[in-house]
Amino acid sequence: MKKLPHIRCLLTCLGLGLCGMLLSACGDGGSGVTLRIWAHQGQEAENRAMREIVAAFNEAHAEDGIRAEIEFFPDHQYSERIAAGAAAGDLPDVMDLDGPTLAGYVDAGLLAPLDAYFSEAELADFLPTVIAQGTIQERLYALGAFESALVLYYDREMLARAGITPPDEDRPWSWDDFLAACAALKDAGLDPISLHMDESADEWYTYAFSPVIWSAGGSLMDPETGRFEGVLNAPENIEALRQWQRLFVLDYADNAPVEPNPFGVGKTAMDWSGHWMARSHLEAKGEALGAAPLPVIGDHRAAASGSWAWAMLSTSDRPDAAAKFLRWVVSTENGIVPIVRANGAVPARHSAFEAFPEYEEIPYRLFKQQLTEHGRPRPQTPHYPALTRNFAEALRDIANGADPAETLARAAKQAQTVADR
Amino acid sequence: MKKIRHTAQKNPDARTAWGFLAPALVLLGLFVLWPTLRALFWSFTDADLLRPQQAQPQGTANYSDLLNDPRFRQAFFNTALFALMVVPVQTVFAFFLALWVNRPEAYWRWLRTVFFVPVVVSLPVLAILWTLLYQPVRGEEMGLINALITGIGLPGQRWLRDPNLALPALAFMSVWQGAGFQMLIFLAGLQNLNSETLEAARIDGAGSWQRLRFVILPAMKNSIIFVVTATLILSFRLFAQPYLMTGGGPDGRTRSLIQFIYETTFQDRNLGLASAGVILFLFIVAFLTLLQRLAGKEEKS
Amino acid sequence: MSRVFKPLAGWISSALVAVFFLLPLIWMVHASFRPENRIFAGGFGGILDFGDLHAGNYAAAWRRASMGRAMFVSLTQAAGIIGIGLLVNSLAAYAFARMDFRGKNPLFALVVALIILPVEVLAVPLFLTARDLGLTGGLLPTLGALILPFSAKAFNIYFLRQHFLSLPMELEEAARVDGASTFRIYWKIALPSIRPALATVIVLDVLTHWSDFIWPLIVCTREETRTVQIGLANLFTEPPIQYGHILAAAVIATLPVLLIFRLAQTHMVASHNNVGIK
Repeated sequence: MKKLPHIRCLLTCLGLGLCGMLLSACGDGGSGVTLRIWAHQGQEAENRAMREIVAAFNEAHAEDGIRAEIEFFPDHQYSERIAAGAAAGDLPDVMDLDGPTLAGYVDAGLLAPLDAYFSEAELADFLPTVIAQGTIQERLYALGAFESALVLYYDREMLARAGITPPDEDRPWSWDDFLAACAALKDAGLDPISLHMDESADEWYTYAFSPVIWSAGGSLMDPETGRFEGVLNAPENIEALRQWQRLFVLDYADNAPVEPNPFGVGKTAMDWSGHWMARSHLEAKGEALGAAPLPVIGDHRAAASGSWAWAMLSTSDRPDAAAKFLRWVVSTENGIVPIVRANGAVPARHSAFEAFPEYEEIPYRLFKQQLTEHGRPRPQTPHYPALTRNFAEALRDIANGADPAETLARAAKQAQTVADR
Repeated sequence: MKKIRHTAQKNPDARTAWGFLAPALVLLGLFVLWPTLRALFWSFTDADLLRPQQAQPQGTANYSDLLNDPRFRQAFFNTALFALMVVPVQTVFAFFLALWVNRPEAYWRWLRTVFFVPVVVSLPVLAILWTLLYQPVRGEEMGLINALITGIGLPGQRWLRDPNLALPALAFMSVWQGAGFQMLIFLAGLQNLNSETLEAARIDGAGSWQRLRFVILPAMKNSIIFVVTATLILSFRLFAQPYLMTGGGPDGRTRSLIQFIYETTFQDRNLGLASAGVILFLFIVAFLTLLQRLAGKEEKS
Repeated sequence: MSRVFKPLAGWISSALVAVFFLLPLIWMVHASFRPENRIFAGGFGGILDFGDLHAGNYAAAWRRASMGRAMFVSLTQAAGIIGIGLLVNSLAAYAFARMDFRGKNPLFALVVALIILPVEVLAVPLFLTARDLGLTGGLLPTLGALILPFSAKAFNIYFLRQHFLSLPMELEEAARVDGASTFRIYWKIALPSIRPALATVIVLDVLTHWSDFIWPLIVCTREETRTVQIGLANLFTEPPIQYGHILAAAVIATLPVLLIFRLAQTHMVASHNNVGIK
């Protein structure tokens, strides 16, 4: 038992020694402030861009003695890392987080409000969805550098072959139009649409198919009371998912696909997918690529939105330096333009669109228009992970033939049980 | 001779014994026992994953919540059913595999490597491969398993999407994936058998059953007990396959205990409830292990 | 006639079984050489398509998953666990197998009970412990966190004890009569005699920790401390998700363990003669 302090001592010494070496290797560390930054791991180009953003920040703040050091975490288990860090009191000064997880961190008191660091004029430059996503109980806790968008991509040539007039860019198909188009495509011997039911991340299902429920006038949670039961399984939701289920019953969409990008390789005529596929689809289809808003069941248009956003930790003991960094990464010139150039997401600020001429064209034009006019964030609740897990499970079961009423009732009850504990 | 053995065993040099044990006990205490005790403590509190320091005691509420939670009960039932399928099949399969490849020539050594490969490949990748194998029939397309089944005139199945078949499908994959591991332990056990006995008992003709039963099985008893115990424990640890391949569905029929605990910890952030799950999990597995050890009393050399 | 025919038939039939057994993995290796847009083409039938095979996925996977550095971390972890683990566990196992002391049976029962603790469920309290011990942060502390918690292992103690128990007592007794110390007997006689079991433990350890995922994810906070599995997992979530890269990385990640298995096998078998009671 006596060995213990020695081990600890030894390892700490070694650890400190190593840290010291790293710091001195970095040169100008000196006596200034070193900010710890955590970020999710994006594409290679995105990580490179992020490093360059950090390097530029460090260069610009060398005189103030502020340095930022960034660590990347693979995003599928990023939240596990944050949780373990919170439990152990080992958190950075600034981190990015996925929009829907924000409420949970705010609820646990991990984050500091940002209102004081941004003027109203600056905030007006952000897309409304970015502000909505980052605001919890009227205080701003997170700001993103980019947004996401979800659309219906289609192949003009395939639709023409089936004799279908493509949907209007400004007016989505009704669900009946959509099903009729699927029927015509199937009759023409084509596979109508891919819904990516092979996706293993629960978030895809909530992100991709909440708009179906919204369009029918439903919602996943009562925004006032935060309740799931009675809301997630409301009659309009059940009816909406009954309509959605027909895509599988009629075999318009594959319930167990193995090809990750069926539209891109020419297997399906339409694709229910996000902005992240725009570049690859344009490359594959060129002029033949079309995009429209997602089909709607009722007359409530609501587009999916939400993405990674930057937040400041309440445990940070140098909030002013942290705020400088946060302002840097969401500034149009220093943060948004370089990162969007690398990852192809939708810029979070109106002033950034100038740098991206493609936003005059389809599908990009549609991304911007949807987000400014119809974007809707996913429910803001500390129990979001339980909601999304149960909702995703319900969607998979319904696609599989389960009864929507029963399945949604169970999902609502299970999510409610977690929330009530 | 007999007397010396007696002395050697009964002459307790307790200090030496503790010296031999100390390093392992310190490490186990620090990294296994202590975390477990921490979990035990949390299980009686409302600990939140993001702020466990603020945990307030709340008696046995977590335990009663768990036992009344249909999801937990279903997860327990699924895991037990999975173990019930995997333990006998994998043990028998691995046993015959080990007997079969336990020959000295290089060729068989290569073959051993072959059966061991699936154990080594990372599970997320195997999840992709088996999702492909289990692909349901849709038009002309189908996975290899359905191709084989329809090839002999049986109807294709939906495997991972069928509430009744999903768990057996995961069990089948797990047997394929893990058998090499058990084979390895059996092979180690077979090394203690003398090679003539083995040669005589090779399963290649009449009478081999008798030799298997009266020569090999008794000699392998310890290994078999060990493998059954290990397989039971490992199958109760089921996690990656349902987590990656079915998300616990369809109808929650593949959600495993560990998956439940994992979701409760990291998604619901209910550390108290999850810790109660950990403690119940340990009790269940300890109970089963004990039961199984009582059933097949260990033989001392 | 049958003396030639029978082994030949055995080889051929076993080769067929092996190929069938390995079919999913053969698909994996084959697909790792196919261009991205063709990987899933034709489902499993694609395995017969030999057009356009290329090795580009390997170069990309190696770079994107930082395989070189990840291999170093993973191999260091494995070496550390084996090095410390073999000594510590076999010492304890020997004490349980050959020595008498008060409380031996309850202590052994406790150790066996520890086998069932999976790191997936204890990750959070374990992380707090590691942090209390200063095992987080840079490369050295992280290696400590990757190695120390797993070097003493109840499973291995149990396993090695079984093998010590099945050794004949005669050699050890003879040495004791000659006046050898207990440690010497353990080190010079008992330990070499269970070489196949030690080789097995090495393989099992390498295997288990080579595929560790949740724990490294929590402790390997810096890029230079990432293990092979973390590098591989990054490819699943780091867009663009390229299945060719994932499969190639999986093949790369598998090879070192197979190599270790092949090397250890020699010891597992050669022992035949060593253990044999003379």
